[in-house]
Amino acid sequence: MWQVRLRRLPYTRRVAGTALQRCWQKPLPATGTDWRQVSFLVVDTEMSSLDADDGELLSIGWVAVEQGAIVLGSARHYLVQAQRSVGQSAIIHSLRDCELTGAATGAEVLQRFLAAAAGKVLVLHNAALDMAFLDRVSRREFNAPVLLPLVDTLLQEERLLRRKEQPIRPGDLRLHACRERYQLPPHQGHNALLDALATAELLLALAAHRGRGQFFPLRQLL
Amino acid sequence: MGIDTEAPAPAVRETADPVLAVPELAPVAEFLAQTLPFDELSKENLYQAVGSILVQYYCRGEVFDRNTVQLGLRIVRSGAVELRDADNKLLDRLGEGESFHIGGLNAQQGEVQATVIEDALVYLLPDPVYRGLRDAHRHFDRYFTGQRSRRLRRAARYQSEPAIMLQEVRTVMSTGLLTVSASDTVRQVAQSMAARRVSSAFVMAAGQLAGIVTDRDLRVRFVARGLPPDTVVSEIMTSNPETIDGSQSIFATTLLMTQRSFHHLPVMVDDELKGIVTTSDLILAKQDDPVYLVQHISRQHDVAGIKDLVSGLANLMVQWVNSGLRAQHVSQVLTAISDAVTVRLIQLAEEKLGAAPVAWCWLGFGSQARAEQLLGADQDNGIIIDNQVEPGQRPWFADMADFVCDGLNECGYVYCPGNVMAKNDEWRQPLLEWQQKVRRWVSAPTPDAAMRVSIFFDLRCIYGSQVLCDELQAVMLKQASSNSIFLAAMAASALDIKPPLGIFRRFVVDRDGEHRDYLDLKKRGVLPVTEMVRLRALANAIGAVNTDERLKALVKGRHMTIVDSRNLVDALHFIQQLRIKHQCGQILRGEAVSNFLNPKDLPKMAKEQLRDAFTIIDDAQSAIRQTYRAGMG
Repeated sequence: MWQVRLRRLPYTRRVAGTALQRCWQKPLPATGTDWRQVSFLVVDTEMSSLDADDGELLSIGWVAVEQGAIVLGSARHYLVQAQRSVGQSAIIHSLRDCELTGAATGAEVLQRFLAAAAGKVLVLHNAALDMAFLDRVSRREFNAPVLLPLVDTLLQEERLLRRKEQPIRPGDLRLHACRERYQLPPHQGHNALLDALATAELLLALAAHRGRGQFFPLRQLL
Repeated sequence: MGIDTEAPAPAVRETADPVLAVPELAPVAEFLAQTLPFDELSKENLYQAVGSILVQYYCRGEVFDRNTVQLGLRIVRSGAVELRDADNKLLDRLGEGESFHIGGLNAQQGEVQATVIEDALVYLLPDPVYRGLRDAHRHFDRYFTGQRSRRLRRAARYQSEPAIMLQEVRTVMSTGLLTVSASDTVRQVAQSMAARRVSSAFVMAAGQLAGIVTDRDLRVRFVARGLPPDTVVSEIMTSNPETIDGSQSIFATTLLMTQRSFHHLPVMVDDELKGIVTTSDLILAKQDDPVYLVQHISRQHDVAGIKDLVSGLANLMVQWVNSGLRAQHVSQVLTAISDAVTVRLIQLAEEKLGAAPVAWCWLGFGSQARAEQLLGADQDNGIIIDNQVEPGQRPWFADMADFVCDGLNECGYVYCPGNVMAKNDEWRQPLLEWQQKVRRWVSAPTPDAAMRVSIFFDLRCIYGSQVLCDELQAVMLKQASSNSIFLAAMAASALDIKPPLGIFRRFVVDRDGEHRDYLDLKKRGVLPVTEMVRLRALANAIGAVNTDERLKALVKGRHMTIVDSRNLVDALHFIQQLRIKHQCGQILRGEAVSNFLNPKDLPKMAKEQLRDAFTIIDDAQSAIRQTYRAGMG
């Protein structure tokens, strides 16, 4: 956790009085905590391009994991007002321009997200991509990136396969492929919340298999 | 800017129709709506329930019992859970969409333990919400009242007695034996029988069973002949009667008794006389009993009559499978029936053609020989004629073969596509010709030839001279076991078909064609096992042809470890069981019976077991490769 706090240092002054500061002020769990005692927020986003520089955040979904269980009541899904047209990416996430009008602004959504994420460890499948978009919105609002501890289920799976010396073929680390290895039921993808739920189930499966009901510290997942 | 953390998503609309606070949870609501008793709830209540659900994941082996802290209704989303009582008796197996409340199950006396037997994703409806729903909704509540007792009833139904025909005969024999001495007079014996109200008595001499005397003997051999009452019983008894071992099945006993027209049969346990079975002991009341079918077949006087009887075979098979008959027994019964049809056809032909001019033998090949037939089997047969046959006598056999093969075809055992039939001159030969043929096959083998002739190495005498069949088999075993090149060719053909498992143990299904996405259970599962076991049996000169018996003989002769042999038996039985269940399903749906199965249609547990079975076959093939094709690639 100290790494996260260290990286926050340069921004301390800039974020004073903002929602980001309130989020950072919540104490973080110690890395030696058993995973079932850690609060996670599992997140997924949809964007208009895979490149954070010219793409835009279109929607975000999240759900909390408390005491080793997904709390369905905490599930949220928000559409984000786009500055430009969604264009071709609508084919993938099926969010059309007309549906995005009347959505919340990026700033509003970020505020809700930070409130939900306070004191929690973020969980994403392929975190780098989604975080690039979230960080961009955050920089625009607060002049600082989000900077929360995070678990990347994709990296966890990759590490696991490498340790088992299994060949990793293209597609093996996709969310549905990872879920299949744990016999999780098929899910409908390409909706931020559905993917977040699917990732949350993967987190549970992955931690349950590695922990085997015994003490399994958070640090093993970071 | 104020932050309202618990604000619902902005997508909420104000409408009369209830709407999920988060529309993305619709898949969860849909799943619940398809499970009992959530289908009883209104949309509004269902949506409230969805919002309170906790999703959990449990690895295999996780246990829920009265010490489980977190109470509530657990609904299995995927995976499987087993419920057992304090005596470890299986109460129920729960799969997708089924639920249990461990506290509710343990509310009444008795301990119920739930164990995850397949990694499970579980929706937990917390106890307060669950109680609230039960209090508020009568229909919802009714489902859970007495859930446990209903489960017990269900469990009792699952643990039905094994099919009566498979029970050991000792379980139904009469043990109140009347024994008399060989020197007793018939009058004394008759009086004892009357006093004990039995219809038979055992005649003992020097502590050994010397004979048996029955009501029938008294009538036929005593009264009818007008013998004096002080005749000694040994004069009218049946000496050295046939006996049966108590561990034999009722099916086998009944078959023996009906075929040989016995009404009484002494039962031996550990070589000691322990009881007797009579025809009335054997429960044969059911018309769908295969024993009756076999009997009825042997009483038909034309092909049409036989055809009529076997036309209902498919439905009968469904009944047998439902009553708990396992695959290997179903195939035994089906083989017994096709044997009976063949024998009856031969007898009918003999009535027309007269007796055979010389000794001969009707051979069954392949699955019929191995007693591993299933529905839809085609016919594979041949005739061995005694070497003494004269050219002028040969037409009798051709007529016989035509009559029987045509009759079989009419009864549903269709002509062999490879023309391996007694109808074909090539497979209707004197013993010498057969033996020379075998020598030719073995001396110049190609993998292709090995594959084509392998069917002949599973052979059984269905009718006629067993000696001819034995002599042919003796040559086969001698030739094959001593010729490593031939064995290597057979190994190549046994290794030709790989079990359909890819990397990560994923099923490999047909990619295109008529059976796209399907697996051929027979070709990919059953055939590789039979071929490997046949190869090992031939290599070690083992005469048995049934795959189970071959494996037993291989273990007995120390040619194979018990573990390897059991694994292979289990794999074969599992695949056969799946195949039979699948065929029963097709029959019930009115579809044509086939061996093609889509692995996606299987429950998860069966899928895993099928994977295991294929893995075992794959391992066995590696062993074959090392033993018989070392250095040959």
